[in-house]
Amino acid sequence: MKHHQSVVSRLLSYLVLGVLAVLFLIPFYLLLRNALMTDPQITSTRWSWLPIPPVWSNFHKLFTDPAAPMATGLINSGIIAVTTLVFQMLFSSMAGYALARIPARGRNVVFGLIVSTLMIPAAVTFVPTYAVTAFLGGINTRWGIIVPGLFSAFSIFLFRQFYLGFPVEIEEAGRLDGLGYAGIYWRLLLPNSRSILMALGVLAFISSWNAFLWPLVIGQDPSSWTVQVVLSTFLTAQTLNLSELFAAALVGIAPLVIVFLLMQRSIVEGAKFSGGKG
Amino acid sequence: MTSTTAAQGSQAGGRTLSRRMFLKTVTIGAGSVAAGCSSGNSHGGITLTQWYHQYGEAGTEQAVIRYAQEFTKAYPHIRIKVVWVPGDYKTKLATALLVPGGPDVFESSLTLPMAQAAQVAPLDDLFTPAVRADFSPRDLEANTVGNTLYGVKMLDDTGILYFRKSLLAAAGVAPPTTMDELIAAARKLNTPNRKGLFLGNDGGVTSMLNVLPWSAGSDFLKGSQIVFDNDRTVEAYEKLKELNDSGALLIGAPTDWWDPSALIQGMAAMQWTGLWAYPAIRRALGDDVGGMAWPALDAQGSPATFLGGWTSMVNAQGHHIPESKELVKWLWIQNTAIQRDWCLSYGFHVPPRKTVAATAAALKAPIPARAVRDLSEHGHALPPAWSSSMNTILTDAVSGILKQGHSGVAAVKTASQLCQRELDRLLV
Amino acid sequence: MTVETTQAKLESENTPTPRKRGGRSSREATLAFWGFVTPALAGLTIFTLAPIVWGLLLSFSHAQNTIRIGHFVGLRNYEDLLTDPAFLNSLVTVAIFAAFIVPLTYLVSLGLALAVERVTAGRSFFRTVFFIPSAVSYVVASLIWKVSLFNGLSFGFANQVIGKFGSGPVAWIGATHPPWYWFVLVTVRLWLQVGFFMIIFMAGLQEIPRTVYEAAAVDGAGAWTTFRRITLPHLRNTSIAVMLLTLIAAFQAFDEFYNILGGVGASAGNQVLARPPLIYLYSLALSDQDFGRGTAGAFILTALILIVTLVQGKALGFGRSEE
Repeated sequence: MKHHQSVVSRLLSYLVLGVLAVLFLIPFYLLLRNALMTDPQITSTRWSWLPIPPVWSNFHKLFTDPAAPMATGLINSGIIAVTTLVFQMLFSSMAGYALARIPARGRNVVFGLIVSTLMIPAAVTFVPTYAVTAFLGGINTRWGIIVPGLFSAFSIFLFRQFYLGFPVEIEEAGRLDGLGYAGIYWRLLLPNSRSILMALGVLAFISSWNAFLWPLVIGQDPSSWTVQVVLSTFLTAQTLNLSELFAAALVGIAPLVIVFLLMQRSIVEGAKFSGGKG
Repeated sequence: MTSTTAAQGSQAGGRTLSRRMFLKTVTIGAGSVAAGCSSGNSHGGITLTQWYHQYGEAGTEQAVIRYAQEFTKAYPHIRIKVVWVPGDYKTKLATALLVPGGPDVFESSLTLPMAQAAQVAPLDDLFTPAVRADFSPRDLEANTVGNTLYGVKMLDDTGILYFRKSLLAAAGVAPPTTMDELIAAARKLNTPNRKGLFLGNDGGVTSMLNVLPWSAGSDFLKGSQIVFDNDRTVEAYEKLKELNDSGALLIGAPTDWWDPSALIQGMAAMQWTGLWAYPAIRRALGDDVGGMAWPALDAQGSPATFLGGWTSMVNAQGHHIPESKELVKWLWIQNTAIQRDWCLSYGFHVPPRKTVAATAAALKAPIPARAVRDLSEHGHALPPAWSSSMNTILTDAVSGILKQGHSGVAAVKTASQLCQRELDRLLV
Repeated sequence: MTVETTQAKLESENTPTPRKRGGRSSREATLAFWGFVTPALAGLTIFTLAPIVWGLLLSFSHAQNTIRIGHFVGLRNYEDLLTDPAFLNSLVTVAIFAAFIVPLTYLVSLGLALAVERVTAGRSFFRTVFFIPSAVSYVVASLIWKVSLFNGLSFGFANQVIGKFGSGPVAWIGATHPPWYWFVLVTVRLWLQVGFFMIIFMAGLQEIPRTVYEAAAVDGAGAWTTFRRITLPHLRNTSIAVMLLTLIAAFQAFDEFYNILGGVGASAGNQVLARPPLIYLYSLALSDQDFGRGTAGAFILTALILIVTLVQGKALGFGRSEE
């Protein structure tokens, strides 16, 4: 009887999961379908499930549209996301290591300061941060978009947790070899932080790529737009060009989806680390 | 660097992060960030930045770039960088004007706080008495705060209620002259595949916010008083609710009321939009379209339309104010050819200067001519003291009446009190 | 906490390490500490801490069309907001929104985790399918939801589906009776975030030792009892973390409201329908340019979030360790 029960419940699970999986995939399907259709096909009352023949020219139209600098957007988003990834990981791991492993007076005060910024939502600081960036000459520049995002109290917090749990033996071995704190960090800790670096790094990359409001107000000139800003201008533009809009959206998420599929395992491990241990 | 550590490092080999790779990425990253920094001026003169919002009509962006180039021909040491801003222009402009580095010249509508916070430069010296007389008094008034002019009107916009003549004829409906007739007409014209009237995806809350009370004979702000708390305003909004409840309004069109696609694509038989859409509508529907101002609310009211448009202003925090003023003067006061081109060749707007409007052949066609007449007889504008927060308060109130069944009297009264508080704060 | 440590451990095992007495010289430590911490600390100070202080000062000022501090008005901005029907409404709106999205996210992600853990074949396929939406931005998701999935015209996918059942097209986003736009807003956030929390729950589920389940089975416990008495308690900390994160995120909702209900002027009438505090504060600060009130509102919201998380924590026994 137990075996029978588990088969039934197993089948039920598959059924439920199957239905849900279909539901979850519908948005992707719609995106793909609309990106490969013409406007009249999209808005026609008669629904066609498959874009046959696929209208590849939508992508050509997209990249030659002067009002929608998609190529520039991709390049900007790419540079910004990679730079954010690298430097945020660098700064956060450095700070996390110092807070976890370097005894110094004032360490707790610094940690307290950093954690306190976690309490305040970005909305409070948005306008003043914008003003600070402007006074530093960052409006309409790539660094103006990037730099404020390089400092994540959340990442610092997690790195500190991580290094607190790091086995002391490694550091002691390093000290035996005459390494200073910098050496221990660079040669021993960092190479062994692969899991957390990948997890947080990918998250930093994704959140940087998907950031919308900050690049919107900093990037006033179209040459500094990111992909999300370009997409948003499609959504809020005076004239709606549906097929181009969907082609743009598809191109916009493609890099992320690819990164995601490749790095899924690392993110899962990172999530285990940060959330599962509650 | 001892041998043991090196050994550890190489032993770790395949599973560790290559530090050399890391360093390389860091350097490239830093380099590309630095490369993205804006570079200075290389041609020895000065560059002015000029902002426009994204106009819906084709050819507008190319036109403004052309104007900028013509200006540089006349003033070789001044280059103009035109920034064409899509999306939420108002917000982007607001953030840009807050801090140094914003546009030198931009278009917007003048508000009292802008002048008070010294965000815009006075432009009195651009207006000789002759020039002043050539602008309509309402346009001058809208750009004046405390006896100083802060902007030059670039174009006048006005609203038109367009309707498909053939559809009205088929339904046996005459063009409405009162709100009740309009509601009845919308009902008669309403079919499952084509709605009767399009006022915007919010049922007219935004597009009719000011026009309806105006058509009832009410107004909003006079001097230092909020004056819309009266039963005419309430009646106007309640009629709007009646229109919504009739089910004859198109809701959920892909674009909003300022875009004529709903009418052109046959999603609605009538649409409230603006003169700017006339060329597109005419191209698509030819003679089958008529236009009028918004009908009077009832016998006590009168037809109404809005006087809108865009004003060119100079950023008071800019670094090249004299040159910026020169640009504004050259474009919108001296160069009548550009003014005519800008107003009439792409979208359709009424040139603010009487002499330019008089010579515009395009304005002689039936619908534009009627619109110009309606604008001067029935056009209303909001004064600079009417702030964006008052607009929000009133929008909330009307939305409450329409969508949440709030009492008209109570909603208008509360809104009036809140607006008065805002006004008092502004005028302090 | 598990961490890969193999090679170093091997080394230290071979050469027994004498116990270190004291540490390195404290000057070296201090120097190293500040060297390591300064980039992050400097960045946070310039771009987060200083703006927080500036924002606080602004909230006590009359700052109209400017962000300069100087015109102090004490608590006036706070009073204005706390008597502002629009702001209060937005707080109620977001509270209702959170009341829906938090339990829904919790239940769906937990349910998915349980279901996915249960199957063996295709587990990684299902995990991927539910998790991949996390890679999509709110802007793109809003786009799909607004223009294709829940478009009010007949070519919208949802309308096509209900059309098969004979219903006419529904204006999902524009209609107010009934307020379908809530369905649109809630589903988009669910789709985007459920996968991430499913992963977290799955990690938590994997931590529960097999033996506990086997013992329960031996005792003849049914599925529901097992779930209630074993699974749930083991997931307590994870559950709290998930609910806390969704709650804090829900109170700061902005992107989907902005992009679906429209941030641009013309559909302002619709925005009022579902306007969370951040959307209202955004328009207060950036449209009305009242920066004093905008920042004051942000601080009120922060306080509210703190209070709500404390209350939720108390109610769920936050911090009470069980294992």
